[in-house]
Amino acid sequence: MIEKMAKVEILGLKDIALDAIDVIHDLGTLHIEDLTERIGSMDNKRVSRMEMDPKFVEHEGTLNNLRAKVGDMIRELQPNVDDMSAENVATEYKGIWSENVEVMISRIESMLRDVERDTRDTVERKSDLLVELSRLEKYAPIMGKVQPLADRVAKMTDMASIALIIERKYKAILNYLNEEISKITEGECEIISSDVDDESTAALIVFNRRFLKQVHEFLAVQDVNQVRLPSDLSKKPIDEAVGEVRARIAQIPSEIDEIDSKLVGVTDKYSVKLIAARNAIHDRLEAMDVVPKFGQTDQVFIISGWLPEPEVEPMDKALTGKFGNKVIMTVVDIREEEDSEGTPVALHNSSFTRYFEILYMLSKYPRYGTVDPTIVFAFFFPILFGLMVGDIGYGILILVAGWIVHRKYINKPFVSMIGFVLTVGGAWTIFFGIIYLEFFGDWIYRWLGLLNADGELDKYLLGTKNSIFKYPVDRIEGFTFMLAVCLIIGWIHMGVGLVIGIINGRREHNFKHALEKGGIFAILTGAMMIIAKFGMAWWPTWAAGVGGLLALAGIVMAAKGAGFGGAIEGVVGMGNLFSYARLIAIGLASVIMANVANKLAIEQAKSGIIGVFVGVIVFILLQTLNIVIGVFSPSIHALRLHLVESFGKFFEPAKVRYEPFKKTGGEE
Amino acid sequence: MIAFSAAIAIGLSALATGLAQSRIGAAMAGAIAERPELVGSAIILVAIPETMVILGFVVAFLITALKTVTK
Repeated sequence: MIEKMAKVEILGLKDIALDAIDVIHDLGTLHIEDLTERIGSMDNKRVSRMEMDPKFVEHEGTLNNLRAKVGDMIRELQPNVDDMSAENVATEYKGIWSENVEVMISRIESMLRDVERDTRDTVERKSDLLVELSRLEKYAPIMGKVQPLADRVAKMTDMASIALIIERKYKAILNYLNEEISKITEGECEIISSDVDDESTAALIVFNRRFLKQVHEFLAVQDVNQVRLPSDLSKKPIDEAVGEVRARIAQIPSEIDEIDSKLVGVTDKYSVKLIAARNAIHDRLEAMDVVPKFGQTDQVFIISGWLPEPEVEPMDKALTGKFGNKVIMTVVDIREEEDSEGTPVALHNSSFTRYFEILYMLSKYPRYGTVDPTIVFAFFFPILFGLMVGDIGYGILILVAGWIVHRKYINKPFVSMIGFVLTVGGAWTIFFGIIYLEFFGDWIYRWLGLLNADGELDKYLLGTKNSIFKYPVDRIEGFTFMLAVCLIIGWIHMGVGLVIGIINGRREHNFKHALEKGGIFAILTGAMMIIAKFGMAWWPTWAAGVGGLLALAGIVMAAKGAGFGGAIEGVVGMGNLFSYARLIAIGLASVIMANVANKLAIEQAKSGIIGVFVGVIVFILLQTLNIVIGVFSPSIHALRLHLVESFGKFFEPAKVRYEPFKKTGGEE
Repeated sequence: MIAFSAAIAIGLSALATGLAQSRIGAAMAGAIAERPELVGSAIILVAIPETMVILGFVVAFLITALKTVTK
């Protein structure tokens, strides 16, 4: 359900404004309203936007710098936030937080100095090693290519060599270099080249040592990269240097590991403090950012906002308790508001239904004053899901997997919600699996000998092939029956949506809206009564006639409520009803695929031990594929049936979600 | 003839769904690149044309059931 909200205005003496903001921030229940627009449209120019004290502007800059520093340290130390105890972070947070910004800044700076002292050398050493490794890894392939050429040059004592690395697309420059260096060396020069990889080419210029200086000078003004080894390697013969480079490449990772193990200790010591500092800085900056949303006169500050009705009293008590009559909170009755669209929406659902609020990850919240459909979603979504998948084996797997995901990711709300929804969906899958008597397809039919030679269901545990109601309900054999069941479910599901639409119309005193929704419901009901005549021979003709009249009356009502568009909407609603045929169609596709997997596996298993092995693999692969499709597709379609067919009949999205101004309390 | 009718029922509706989904999918991929929060709406919008193939499947199945009845 949608939480009832109260609009409040808080007025107080300006000199205690920041303290009052701190109290509101601590309580964390007020959704702040930005007064900028209202102040702009006021005739009374004595009220202006609140401005921050210049001293605090300076603090804002310091806090932003500290945030960057703390962020850098968190990135360097990479603490495992998921495993961190929220309680420990909250305790550290309390130690850092102070209403006096200067005190808080000095605490954070002192902590950062400690972290820097303990980590500077190790972090710098690690950074140097990473740079060295990356440089040597670049050298290694180049030197590998140049080495055989250099070995030959080394035997010629009067010759010198210079290695170059050139982008392959500019390889043609080697011809130019050859011409120019030949001129410098009076023809005593040769360039040997070899491609290193797809992008670069290594070249070795061999020339008479007499021209070493001139060649270096020439190359210095050319746009080419000479391979410059680290100073300790540059004077060594190239084969020796290659060996050393390779040895260093092998050695550096173990040095980095050693540093990392040292850093683990430092990380353990400071990670909680760093995260708490990050949260405290975030909260403090947020409290500063919010100031321009408030109003002020020469003497008074004005804060306007929304909070859930049960939170009004605690807020009033906290403000009065701390500031007495220097701060006054006034509740503005929301019924006096002409526009409820601007009211922020907060949901308040039971612990079970709350998990189904995952729906609002895909959609906006319902508008304030309308009905919250979460409970409808919580009831129907798992049923529609289970109806489509409907298999005991699949249901058990989905239920167990869903529960594991739900428990394992309890700190990640989105994933945890998915897990819970799947768990409930899995339970309904088992329920419908029992109705269809399906276990990984037709295994139970096979074990109980209910199938004939063609693999069709021939015997029933209750009733016969010609009975209307029989058990098990085979989705293939009883397709028409299940189609009728799905249409009835659709009628109920859409009916619930339309009834909510009528309630919304009544709440907003919009009679025409309610009339339109009632008309569409009458059209759907009438259509169902007519369709029943085609499906069931015993359905009385007079009932079909009544259905026809009801549908006509519905069209008139819908037209009266919303004009021509309403009548069209009513007729389209019948199309929406047939959309529920997907419940059986998707389920049927799933069961046929499961049966095919079983048949293939059994056929394979008939040809000896290897056949059994292949059969088991075929069974596992196809059934796994079917389960994956069986979870994904029914979820999407059950969701669509809600958002388009049912909620489309009444749902009005909210403009604003309730987002209270609160401290993260070390849990960010 | 019955089998042929069933094939047309599902074949044409599958083709239509494919065409619609390809265009919606491409448009939504572009939209998500700009506004990632639209991914939920995208999934729903891409699923909307599936109604056609699902109804085609139902009709095809009913046609094949007709075969059983006419036997």
